[in-house]
Amino acid sequence: MRIAAACRTVRVLPIVLGVLFGWMNAVSAADKSTISPEDRAFFENRIRPVLVKHCYECHSADAEEVGGKLLLDTRDGLRSGGESGPAVVAGKPDESRIIQAMRYDGIEMPPEQPLPEAVVNDFVKWVQRGAPDPRVPVARPDAKTVEGAKAAADKEDDKPPLWSLQPRTQPAIPNVKNLDWSLDPLDRFVLARLESENLAPTHDADPRTLIRRLYADLLGLPPTMDDVEEFVSEYGRDRVKAVQTVVDDLLARPQFGERWGRHWLDVARYGESNGNDGLGRNPTFPHAWRYRDYVIDAFNNDVPYDRFLTEQIAGDLLPSDSPAEHDRYLIATGFLAMASKPAKAMNTNFDMDVVADQIEVVGTGLMGISVACARCHDHKFDPIPTRDYYALAGIFTSTETMWGLAANEKLTASPTDLHVLKAAPKVLPPADFVETVLVLESNTGVPKAIPKPKWPVGTPLAIGVRDKAKPADCKINVKGDAKKLGEVVPRGFVTACKTESTNALTIDPKQSGRLQLAEWLTQPDHPLTARVMVNRIWLHLFGQGIVRTPDDFGVYGERPSHPELLDHLANRFVEDDWSIKHLIRSIVLSRTYQLSSDASEKVLKADGENLLVARHNRRRLDAESLRDSMLAVSGRLNLEPADGSIIRHRDILVNLAGNLHQSSNHRSVYLCYLRSSLPPELAAFDVPDFTTVTGQRDVSTIPGQALHLFNNLFVIEQAEHFAQSMMEDSTNDSDRVRLAFRRALNREPNQNELDQAIELLQSTTSELKSDKKAWSSLCQALLTTNEFRYVD
Amino acid sequence: MNFSRRAMLQSTSCGFGALALNALCSEQVVASSGGGLETRTPVLAARAKRVIFLCMSGGPAHLDTFDYKPQTGQKKHPGSVFRFRQHGESGLGISELLPETAKFADDLCVINGMHADTGIHAQSFLQLHTGDRLRKRPSLGSWISYGLGTENQNLPGFISLNTSKSSIYSSAFLPSIYNGTPIGVNGENMSFATINNVSSDHLPLSSKRRQLDFVQMMNRNHRKLRPGDDKLESVIESMELGFRMQSVAPDLLDISTETKATLESYRVGQQKESTGTCKVSDFGRQCLLARRFAEAGVRFIEVSHGSWDQHKNHRRDLKANCEVTDAPIAALLGDLKQRGLLDDTLIVWGGEFGRPGLTPEDGKDETGHNSNGFTFWLAGGGVKRGHVHGKTDPTGARAVEGKVHFRDLHATILHLMGLPPNDLKYWHAGREHRLTGPEGGKVVHELFA
Repeated sequence: MRIAAACRTVRVLPIVLGVLFGWMNAVSAADKSTISPEDRAFFENRIRPVLVKHCYECHSADAEEVGGKLLLDTRDGLRSGGESGPAVVAGKPDESRIIQAMRYDGIEMPPEQPLPEAVVNDFVKWVQRGAPDPRVPVARPDAKTVEGAKAAADKEDDKPPLWSLQPRTQPAIPNVKNLDWSLDPLDRFVLARLESENLAPTHDADPRTLIRRLYADLLGLPPTMDDVEEFVSEYGRDRVKAVQTVVDDLLARPQFGERWGRHWLDVARYGESNGNDGLGRNPTFPHAWRYRDYVIDAFNNDVPYDRFLTEQIAGDLLPSDSPAEHDRYLIATGFLAMASKPAKAMNTNFDMDVVADQIEVVGTGLMGISVACARCHDHKFDPIPTRDYYALAGIFTSTETMWGLAANEKLTASPTDLHVLKAAPKVLPPADFVETVLVLESNTGVPKAIPKPKWPVGTPLAIGVRDKAKPADCKINVKGDAKKLGEVVPRGFVTACKTESTNALTIDPKQSGRLQLAEWLTQPDHPLTARVMVNRIWLHLFGQGIVRTPDDFGVYGERPSHPELLDHLANRFVEDDWSIKHLIRSIVLSRTYQLSSDASEKVLKADGENLLVARHNRRRLDAESLRDSMLAVSGRLNLEPADGSIIRHRDILVNLAGNLHQSSNHRSVYLCYLRSSLPPELAAFDVPDFTTVTGQRDVSTIPGQALHLFNNLFVIEQAEHFAQSMMEDSTNDSDRVRLAFRRALNREPNQNELDQAIELLQSTTSELKSDKKAWSSLCQALLTTNEFRYVD
Repeated sequence: MNFSRRAMLQSTSCGFGALALNALCSEQVVASSGGGLETRTPVLAARAKRVIFLCMSGGPAHLDTFDYKPQTGQKKHPGSVFRFRQHGESGLGISELLPETAKFADDLCVINGMHADTGIHAQSFLQLHTGDRLRKRPSLGSWISYGLGTENQNLPGFISLNTSKSSIYSSAFLPSIYNGTPIGVNGENMSFATINNVSSDHLPLSSKRRQLDFVQMMNRNHRKLRPGDDKLESVIESMELGFRMQSVAPDLLDISTETKATLESYRVGQQKESTGTCKVSDFGRQCLLARRFAEAGVRFIEVSHGSWDQHKNHRRDLKANCEVTDAPIAALLGDLKQRGLLDDTLIVWGGEFGRPGLTPEDGKDETGHNSNGFTFWLAGGGVKRGHVHGKTDPTGARAVEGKVHFRDLHATILHLMGLPPNDLKYWHAGREHRLTGPEGGKVVHELFA
């Protein structure tokens, strides 16, 4: 039973977890106050799990047939009882039918075998206490048991509200005992919560740790030794000023957009090929890289988040001042054209599959609510009816999605038009370029002729969307089948998610409605948009979100650990003109962010998962940061943005192409992110497959990662370059070792480390008769250490 | 349970993690030089030493594979649409779609009363692997490696072929040394998938060893200054395992040394095309690698084929799924048997749930999900041969007799491996965790030979 499990976990944090059995579990504020914590705990630990496990199968609204018309899944159902009278008479166990049944007295329940005596005793005790029941007071209207289908249709209104759909509150800055501690109002929320648990935040991170953390978080790169020394000395003079200065510097560097743009590309399921279409075909998206560059620029220019979303959803409909700006808006709509599409062959639902992806990326990516289930049926847990799905679908069926030629393989997807850019330069393929990867006839295996594209060679193109000539509302696809059509649903938004101006937003029947969708999503009072983004930003700075399921703010997602802090930050985000840089700046300047990742045993014990943020979280460098850091230390990093993509002239099936990847010294964000064929330099470290929204990457520890560090060609090459520059720089082995430590780890080696390093050099040199190899081995070792790969 | 905690602790050499084998025992036992992979003597009499899990992802249609539901009365009801025949001395009913597997009818122990909590793919798939529908928890293979270590110190105890997201083969809060090692993720071409970077010749192994010694010295010092961070310890262990793998894994992954007849019997590389939901997975190579790993002493091997989620084109796609898995599975069973490995290798076949039946002759060719009743089968490893346990109602809609939940299946597998299922625990984040969850799982003793 999940509830039991969750409750036992939550010794310190009674309100954080819980709530897993659908809407029935959400408890209104009023109910919370009428039941004591002990009664609540007793019910959740002893009573509810038994009801769920042994009774709900027949006595709940979800039962196939409700036994004896008795519902035990709501408080009212239990009190009013079924055919044989009330199940519970508060205070009187002997008169309560449920107790009689459990004792096999007259009725025998559960029918298979009686419950253990201890369980029955729990129920007796519970009834004696007055059967306190924290569940919602309203029985769920259900066509099966309650007369009137209308009641069932209205059930939305009876559901206790999902927290994330409630309007944001304006939480007051909490009072705290330790008034001197906070550097930013957000600190007070964290501190108040810690104080209420009788805990104190750990000590501050030392400046050497902090500077590495700031570089990793804001740039995804390590600082140089000079950066560290300068910061440490400034920090000693004026801590606040020193941190501000370095943060402002980092936020202004172009590497910031590369780092944070990459986070967004995960959300946007950015990929440079379609991914396996289910028939083993994987056509490239030769122009997708333009969207990557658009995102990086947007983060660097701090495009307000509401504007950023509007451009991606409806850029083609926005007025522009220049051809370059118009290009930029068209490219932004690539966000909606990245679908990993299932094959078109024999798939009558293909068009709706594309729409499903668009709804999913808008729902999960921007709102943290999965709307996808409603394609076939009303969402089982979240308040998303099928009608909402098709209201949104109408917007996207009125939109033409342009992914391009799909390698001219009609069985995977029909070729589409593309945006033709006006200001972007024409780039021709190299003079000697001949496409060698040819699509084969599926019957004969003979290569097909490559059709001549309609655009002159080198025309700058972009994937994206535009309105169809004749926009129209969409009909419900019964059970998600495009051939079984139901009623027409007017285009619209998610009804459960209300903003003040929702009703005022009308969709012009001559347009798709994307512009209004963007307008609706970016209403200042939209309950989800700001919360979801603020949580994503927090997650990337702390390693876990305030809501630890960043892509699921629904009933099955987790509840925020600090709901008021989340609203506080979301309010600030919106008030500060949706500025991402501003929010990041505020967070990293806070005391909370600057805490050490070490903590006392007391804190570790009380809050093992660090939900209370009494310390910072130690984090492993992600795949991109690890590669970039290696390049930085080896001296080979090319900080210039890469120009385009290695596949920009190649409209081919990747599944036939083998490995297209080429080595490069540009930052990892510019590698070629082919779905199902990821860059081998990144693949070992939990890079997702980019077919769906990824708000948070996995962090696994497997021997395959060790093998990557030992044997991957990229790592070996960086070690060699690193070694080369050490050998050029100094003549004395001890000095060189010191230099290598400073370069890789930003510190001096201690005597033991120095001795061991020298020993490694000497023994390897004598074995392999090569200084160079010995130095490469030591340099590779430094790049492999946990100290290099983890950020405190 | 017939063991004492003292006896248990004596009989095992717990790694740096812990075997909390008693509801009251919550201390993490820290000891040992073996890093957690060393073989541990099972607490109970073990009937199996290793598991090969044939994971049929997507929800195989039980009514058209192993759970025959003929039309009986006047009224047409959902049931099997493919023909069944009885096979072997046991007379086990197996669908016409599985002629090769049917030859091993007398080795199979079919569980027809499986049930699970949800018909949502991702959740049920996670529950099948980890016991939990929602959160990242240790996978079955990780629990077994944790309980028993591995027989070959140069290989991971848990290898997962053709796998998907890492939560499926994750050790979660168990030490990472028990994490599954994937071969082929997210639709990689399974004819070539390998353990990446398993070798390179830039340094001889002896130099690599000295290099790693230096790294580990650094890592241990780093770890010492950061108490309470088990992740760092896990990295240290996994570096050692990675190092040892370099000496063994390359040969093991090279199937070119197998005879032509063997390659043929497993149908290695023979599936060229996908059919509807049935994807190309070179299931033959997967099964052959599974045998090689089993022989080499890997504790838990998962191979995978999918998707059995044929909502539409039920007949065509189910037929394709059966066709590409049938011969490789039969070859695996035969091969293990011939090598005398089947007796102590437990084979487990099944997916995250089953499917409702079709109503014959109503023209419908569509199914959905059914988590209330479906089929798994076991073979080898101490289970009954030619046996059917449990049943579903006349339409296969729900399990009615001999019901086995995933947690019961997990309990049964652990028990067969000699691990006390409800006492194999690990302390994490303020409470004890076990594979069988707070409810515990029931060992299905009726399945045992």
